[in-house]
Amino acid sequence: MSETRKLDLTWLALVLLSVVGAGLGGTADDRFGVSVLVALVMAVKLRLVCDNFLELRTATPRIRRLMYAFTHGMPLLVILSSAFGGTLARLTGALVL
Amino acid sequence: MTTAANLLHPAPSAGRIPGNKAMWVGIFCEVTEFALMFAVYFVARAHHPEVFAAGPARLSLLAGTGYTLMLLTSGWCVAHAVHAMRASRQQACLRWLTGALLFGLGYPVIKLIEVRWNLAHGLDGSAGIFVVTYYYLTFNHLIHVFWGLLGLGWVMLRTGTGSYSADDHVGLEAFACYWHTTDIIWLMIFPLFYLLP
Repeated sequence: MSETRKLDLTWLALVLLSVVGAGLGGTADDRFGVSVLVALVMAVKLRLVCDNFLELRTATPRIRRLMYAFTHGMPLLVILSSAFGGTLARLTGALVL
Repeated sequence: MTTAANLLHPAPSAGRIPGNKAMWVGIFCEVTEFALMFAVYFVARAHHPEVFAAGPARLSLLAGTGYTLMLLTSGWCVAHAVHAMRASRQQACLRWLTGALLFGLGYPVIKLIEVRWNLAHGLDGSAGIFVVTYYYLTFNHLIHVFWGLLGLGWVMLRTGTGSYSADDHVGLEAFACYWHTTDIIWLMIFPLFYLLP
């Protein structure tokens, strides 16, 4: 597959994921389940941009690892904060007036 | 023709710095800044879970999705522009950059409409912690989009005057890295405020 074709398919996948992901908004029956789904969609989109637009796969390891840590860490934080929000609130109680 | 050009100018080899070091210093400053703001978001959310769960229903999902589609499409155009330059297709590169600018400008246009909509619905600085956090993060992101649009104007000028070539277009690549990172940050902000229950 040519590089430009790969760009087009990446863009199409990102648009579809964005539109489908937007449908998750407002569905709050199972908050944790929706949070996991939102985080997964976020993770896939971030990976697509990192690999195919930002070309991190060919970047020097330091840049690649730091950016992957940021883009993989964020969806993980979404899930963890949904699962352990109470614990986070207790740990940070002193920060909040 | 595109395939032949790709063979002549293949994708860059592994282990390189995309763009230049200076841009990556700036990008990691940006990433650190937003990481701190996301920390504020998660702490605020942990202390006010019900307020944040009800937050997305107060915002315009249409606007949030609109920003996402504009930025993704603009980023796609920029990625094509870089590939066109690698294949020595300067005019095609400039056309893709023009597309990137048009879609990129869609972001502040939607922002203007959304802010008016927000204010009409009582979402101002006194509307509670969710709205304050939302403005704090999204306006910071808007500032970064403005820097990006200025950079885009600059690389369009450089491309139009023939300053880049297939062998030397570091400035164009550096801009592309910044623009894609700004896109990445939006892809994080969007679900936090518009989707997450």
